[in-house]
Amino acid sequence: MLALLALGGIADSMVEIGILDWSIIAIYLTGMVTVGALLARRHADFDDFFLAGRALTTPILITTLISTYYGIDVLFGSSQLAYTDGVVAWFGYARPTYLFFLIAAFVVARRLRHEDFRSLPEILERYYGGGTRNVGALASFLYSLPALSLYGFGLLAELLLGWPPLVGMAVLGGVALAYTLTGGFWAVALTDSIQFLMMCVILAIAVPYGLQVVGGFDSLFEHLEPYYFDQMGDLSVLLVIAYAATGLTVLIEPTFYQRIFAARSYHNVRNALLAGIVLWGAYDWTVTIVGMMARTAAIQGAIDPGIAPDASLMAMMTVALPAGMLGFFIAGVLATEMSTLDSYCLVAGGNVAYDLYKPILKPDASDADLIRATRLGVLLSWVIGFAMAASFDQMLGLWVFMASILMSTLLVPILLGLYVPACRRPLAGLISSVSGLTSTALINAIIVLGGRYVDEEETFVFQLDLWGGSYEILQEYAMFFTVPLSALGFVLGLAIDRRRRG
Amino acid sequence: MSGWEIFTWVNAWILGCGAVIVFVWFLIDLPGLLPGAERKPRTSEDGEG
Repeated sequence: MLALLALGGIADSMVEIGILDWSIIAIYLTGMVTVGALLARRHADFDDFFLAGRALTTPILITTLISTYYGIDVLFGSSQLAYTDGVVAWFGYARPTYLFFLIAAFVVARRLRHEDFRSLPEILERYYGGGTRNVGALASFLYSLPALSLYGFGLLAELLLGWPPLVGMAVLGGVALAYTLTGGFWAVALTDSIQFLMMCVILAIAVPYGLQVVGGFDSLFEHLEPYYFDQMGDLSVLLVIAYAATGLTVLIEPTFYQRIFAARSYHNVRNALLAGIVLWGAYDWTVTIVGMMARTAAIQGAIDPGIAPDASLMAMMTVALPAGMLGFFIAGVLATEMSTLDSYCLVAGGNVAYDLYKPILKPDASDADLIRATRLGVLLSWVIGFAMAASFDQMLGLWVFMASILMSTLLVPILLGLYVPACRRPLAGLISSVSGLTSTALINAIIVLGGRYVDEEETFVFQLDLWGGSYEILQEYAMFFTVPLSALGFVLGLAIDRRRRG
Repeated sequence: MSGWEIFTWVNAWILGCGAVIVFVWFLIDLPGLLPGAERKPRTSEDGEG
């Protein structure tokens, strides 16, 4: 998720774009807005607007799952790791997440479909009551704010199109906002399908073009150090475990849950995830190899040897792809991020309307009220995300904080509620989610305000002196404290509940 | 041709052709998906409940 954030350092390497490429980009952007406009007045009720009438079948689930879950973070982050370390980018970083997708396909999705939920906070409401739902809705809303996507649009616009970042954020993010507001989940899912095709096909096409630039696959063996082909590279076991643990977010991801709820049946979700794992694997491997090709090209002098590693894929593509194809690539990169931004905005809007507005302010809200409130929520999330992207320098830290909030607030109560009926006690859910949320805010504040930003680590580090020893606590480590605190809160809640009941 | 190269070409073909196949499958499904379309009632074979 993280490496794209250094993209700011490569903004001086702007790409030359011809009239044909501009035309393709313009057609793509117009097409996205048109889809939203065509679907604007076709919503029968809230389920239709927010969950596409729960009618999604296997192919559209494949396209929307893949395009939503893979943004430019994967495109540039994985290629960065491949550029510097080789195939470990796939074996060590990408591969473990497929295990969690398998668990999601065979365990979590079945359970969720069985209960017939509409949103992630609704699970909390059913098992623990309204208080826990409110905390969960707040956590889901914060996590879904599109700050990172908008920031990425600013950088891409500056790098690819030569626009000022704020203009790029407003125009490119505005296109995604427009079709999401008008067309709801139907527009999101349908545009995701076009975006899926573009992001996958253009990457596959880049392989022969890239190999042509570097002089064939054997050239990779000739120019790259042997460790580039070592499956685990020089990563420590602990780091591999830490990478694998990031895959846990799949089990409580709001956009992922929304697609499960929107599916026509459990079988559709399961089949889509199984097909998706194959395509995710192929996508990750292709990104890895293009990253390694870029390293070879840099050694050969075909691209700038001093290029930032996270810009290597972009540089490789611009050298390798002919006119016209480059326009498709740029549109594909924009599509990759647009498909992520639209989905998160819609989830945030749903949190506002269905999980907060309806239960707290208007229990008898009609479908029209809910659709209106969802649109307002989408707009609100976009505006807040825009303000954050325009104001914060350390977007990486912000993303780590938002991901921590989701994991720390929801992981324990959601999974225990789903699978251990004896744990469905209101006090346990409430104490767990509140302690996860507040401890995340507190610990992140201590690390950011009391620590310092370390460039090599690309994160905030807090120096902890304890019992004669000195320890470096990275911002990413906050979850190692907050998730256990959430679990502890859950146990405490269960104990209090048991004592109360005598 | 090394194992790495074969693996790369297999993945590139899976990605490119797989995406096209899924997209065509999606287009075939599309008329029955859009709002207002006649939809098949769900059955036990759909894996519900």
